[in-house]
Amino acid sequence: MNIAIPTPGIRRRSVTGLWLRHAVAFVRYWKFVITWVLIEPVIALVAVGFGIGKLVTEVEGADTYAEFVTPGLIMGSAMFHALFETSWNAYNRIDNDVYETALTTPITVLEVTLGDISWAITRALMTTIGVAVVAAMLGWLDGWWAIGILIPAIMVGAMFGAMGFLFSAVAPHTTFLTLVFTLVATPLYFFSGSFFPISILPDWVEPIAWAMPLTPGVHVARGFGLGQFDTSHLWAGLYMVLLTALMWPAAVYLLKRRLIK
Amino acid sequence: MPQLNEQANLNGDTPAEVDADVIVVRDLRKNYGELTAVDGLSFSVHAGETYGLLGPNGAGKTTTMRMLSGLSPVSSGKITVAGIDVIKDSRAVREVMGVVTQHDGLDGGLTVFQNLFLYGFLAGLTRQRAKDRAHEVLDFFSLRDRSKANVYELSGGMKRRLSIARSMMTSPSVIVMDEPTTGLDPQSRNRVWEELAVLKELGATVLLSTHYMEEATILCDRLLIMDHGKILDEGTPDQMIERHAPSEITQLRAEPAALRSVRDYLGERDIGYREVGALVSVTGANGDRPDLSGLTSVEGIRTTYRAGNLEDVFLAITGRELRDS
Repeated sequence: MNIAIPTPGIRRRSVTGLWLRHAVAFVRYWKFVITWVLIEPVIALVAVGFGIGKLVTEVEGADTYAEFVTPGLIMGSAMFHALFETSWNAYNRIDNDVYETALTTPITVLEVTLGDISWAITRALMTTIGVAVVAAMLGWLDGWWAIGILIPAIMVGAMFGAMGFLFSAVAPHTTFLTLVFTLVATPLYFFSGSFFPISILPDWVEPIAWAMPLTPGVHVARGFGLGQFDTSHLWAGLYMVLLTALMWPAAVYLLKRRLIK
Repeated sequence: MPQLNEQANLNGDTPAEVDADVIVVRDLRKNYGELTAVDGLSFSVHAGETYGLLGPNGAGKTTTMRMLSGLSPVSSGKITVAGIDVIKDSRAVREVMGVVTQHDGLDGGLTVFQNLFLYGFLAGLTRQRAKDRAHEVLDFFSLRDRSKANVYELSGGMKRRLSIARSMMTSPSVIVMDEPTTGLDPQSRNRVWEELAVLKELGATVLLSTHYMEEATILCDRLLIMDHGKILDEGTPDQMIERHAPSEITQLRAEPAALRSVRDYLGERDIGYREVGALVSVTGANGDRPDLSGLTSVEGIRTTYRAGNLEDVFLAITGRELRDS
């Protein structure tokens, strides 16, 4: 009899199974989800790009305001999607015992986060690709470098996917998750250099803005969008890796405490 | 990559030797801080047997079930399932064991069929096998016509049957069910009991927890009665009744006006009784019908006789009602 499956290590089946679950659920409800993946961020892009773009005639590093703002808006949308997946959606899966059911199969909590965060990354990529294609058609994103925006999209997806669990794993009720948006997503959306360069902020705010987790994502995405790089982009990338490496184990710890008790 | 363990099927040829105990629990303890939820529990379940944990809410049944399924860390003690140490290798145990948790845990984002398929896939079945098996269990539980339904469209009974069906996806040799019929209407409960009886026919080893004594009586070959995390007694339902309950119970259904006379009469003669609603169960000396001749003149009393049951056993051991405690 050979049924001894080594407990440690990561079982690929668990991760692909959960990813598949999310993909199937997405396909079932795509008509609703697509409004957020594509239509909402495109409305923001068009409004800001054309509207504010008319008023702002000069912005550092870019030819037009629309070119400046496009990578930032894309990263903002990627952040929202990743966060939402592992906060609201994951909370519902905790609350409805969907994870508990999964854990009665040979799955570990680490694998649950791997499956769900890989779906958070997928959502971040979907909105990135969708909005980027529209931006490219408008001429606000061009050059082959722009394809590189997928890299910060993956990093932002992983980082905010891990962060979302920090909320869902401790949330006593769904109203608690409002904090994800009021304290995290909305402030970051506006203060991460998406809409204006961080350099125009007051001196004392500038380092705080740089430390915010979305800022490096916007910075790297803008590097790809405008095709301009220096070592700061490398540091920004490493900073995202560091934050993810800190938050992910914390997410696993908190989720384990919530589910295995 | 784990594959479907074809040895473990419902034909009774479990991977372990057939005579061996499939589930062995030794001195199992669980503390939540100061609170001791499970306090030195030991029992064994033989292959092909349906074994019940009977006890009131808060007795430690669910905690025990969760520890068996790897959903709760064990404070101390030992659990083996099909020869595998649950504490050391919980993943391997979940390969061979089907688990029905207390809450259905169905995925509202998926259809009935997709719920089954996903579970099978996560458990290690190939896609084709998961598909085929989902159809098989849907047929077995008569849910085929609900295959494409959203789970939230199902009735409570159907949800419960689906969650039991789900645990069958891997053709497990051992099934652990935490209160399989709690909250179901009597009709759905009967349906579940019928289906569990068929599973038993097929040779499955089942451990179930319940606070319904009818359920324990009907389904279980052996059971233990527990309270406050401890075993009070263990045996077959008949053995337990013989040991602890009067062989016959006289029941008096008294109208409100007559109830006082009944109480007075029994009280004066020191005849043991208990009251549930308007029903007075008289537990006289074992085997002998208590002398209730003095009550024949009182209007508004109906007298019936019934055999002792597990409810009486529980009362006798703990002094409390199983149902209401």
